[in-house]
Amino acid sequence: MKIAVISCIHGNTEALDAVLSDIDAQNAEKIYCLGDLVGYGPHPNEVVNRIRSLDIPTCQGCWDEDIVDGLNACDCSYPSQLAEKRGKLAHEWTDRVIEPDVREYLAALPMTVREDNLCFVHGSPNSQHEYLLPSMDGFAALERVLSVEADVLFCGHTHVPYVRELDNGSITVSLQQSNGGSGEAKVTQQFAAPLKKIINAGSVGEPRHGRPNATYVLYDTDTQQTTMREVPYEFTKTCMAILESGLPPIFAWRLARGMEFAERADDPSHVCQR
Amino acid sequence: MSDSSIVVVAGPSGSGKTAWIAQRLAEATQPALYVSVDGEAISVELAYIGYRFPKVRLANARALPQVFDELAEPTVIYVEVGFSEDVQELSLGGLPSHRVAVLPPSLHHSAWHDWADEIVAGNEVAIFEPHKMPEVWTMSLAGQVFDAPSLDDISIELTGGAYGKVHRMKALVELPDGRLFYLDFVDGMPGIEYGEPRVPQWLEGRPQRFSGIEVVGWNLEGDTIARTIRDGCLSNEAIAHYQLQYKSQSSSSVPQAAQ
Repeated sequence: MKIAVISCIHGNTEALDAVLSDIDAQNAEKIYCLGDLVGYGPHPNEVVNRIRSLDIPTCQGCWDEDIVDGLNACDCSYPSQLAEKRGKLAHEWTDRVIEPDVREYLAALPMTVREDNLCFVHGSPNSQHEYLLPSMDGFAALERVLSVEADVLFCGHTHVPYVRELDNGSITVSLQQSNGGSGEAKVTQQFAAPLKKIINAGSVGEPRHGRPNATYVLYDTDTQQTTMREVPYEFTKTCMAILESGLPPIFAWRLARGMEFAERADDPSHVCQR
Repeated sequence: MSDSSIVVVAGPSGSGKTAWIAQRLAEATQPALYVSVDGEAISVELAYIGYRFPKVRLANARALPQVFDELAEPTVIYVEVGFSEDVQELSLGGLPSHRVAVLPPSLHHSAWHDWADEIVAGNEVAIFEPHKMPEVWTMSLAGQVFDAPSLDDISIELTGGAYGKVHRMKALVELPDGRLFYLDFVDGMPGIEYGEPRVPQWLEGRPQRFSGIEVVGWNLEGDTIARTIRDGCLSNEAIAHYQLQYKSQSSSSVPQAAQ
């Protein structure tokens, strides 16, 4: 079965519509969404209503959580003071315009979505705010996949798509074991894990790969083949809507250049403390 | 003044006038005076030369005659003329001078050629028609300390054209670890150059020394640039927090005396 996985739409209906058309053209049978439906972009209600109307299984993103629970991120959410100020402006704007039933829908979204040996999360199984960067330590990455007992973990949040194969899934654990009065003995145990994959779906509405095009992934559950899709869309319409809505104009400038508005992850060893 | 010599340096914005003078000052064996003639209230070059060459005297063009009169020993006087100044109108009170134009190698005819005694090949920068001359926007950053990642964001956005088309940006900025940095961007040249003048680390509150930014370009959104810069600068509490950390690090890295 061919599935499409989309993430990080961030209130950008122009991008979402273009991606949905492309998914249709690619004959994907089912769509999964990894959250961050709202935040930064000018159409949060429209995006949520589109996802709801299509009955797309969706997990909760960090922005979806923030708009329900309030801002409560750890340091990893904002890499700079300037980004933090802009992020707060975007949060306040979104909080002001979001409709009550949309907020209720976001509040009810699950942290993870499961489908056989596939698991779908926004950031990581630990937290919607944790970044699974491609350069993350292999042991930590494998732990994240094993923790949800999946073979393929789909995530978003970084806004840059990637596929990572964890093909050396062997973990060695050494223990110092007490032998009563005769001292300690070293015990070594080895666990083998079959091939695991982390697939990052990129971002539909707020790409960070240097071009304004939306990204998402197609995955064939029979052949295990992943296809990255990059979809051009009329980003200038979104830019105009940003300017007209009263959001910071710099968001439009950054969107047009494929530069994320504020959030960014640079430290692959960081463990989110939220 | 009688045994002193004057070198007047002119050229378009970003051609490398300050860099050429700095090279001479680095090799200088006799006292030197640096004069900036750019008509701006804030002169980043003046401060940059002052930080980099503490022994070089500095003067603004407005104080020129008096400064010349006060020179007690033979001095090499470098006068840097801003790109928007008319070199033909430049007056040094009739004193003899050596006129140097730092120009793009591809430029073969200009008012600078007619004026100069010596042509120096500089950066390959654009030359503007008189009716398309860029504007200059300046801001004092005295006492401000940047959040370093925010400074990166601002530099990328500013030089990338988020707040107007930028031809040139130069700035002296303070960072939380007490270091002062010089940023230099010229449109068409690769990236932003960073330099670190050898000045003491400032780890006692808001720095009480010059820092500032000068931007040359068109349709510059000065208010937005200023607001963005302020958003990227640290509060008193944050500055104190960082300075405490850096002071603690530097004291713990001092080798202990042998017992």
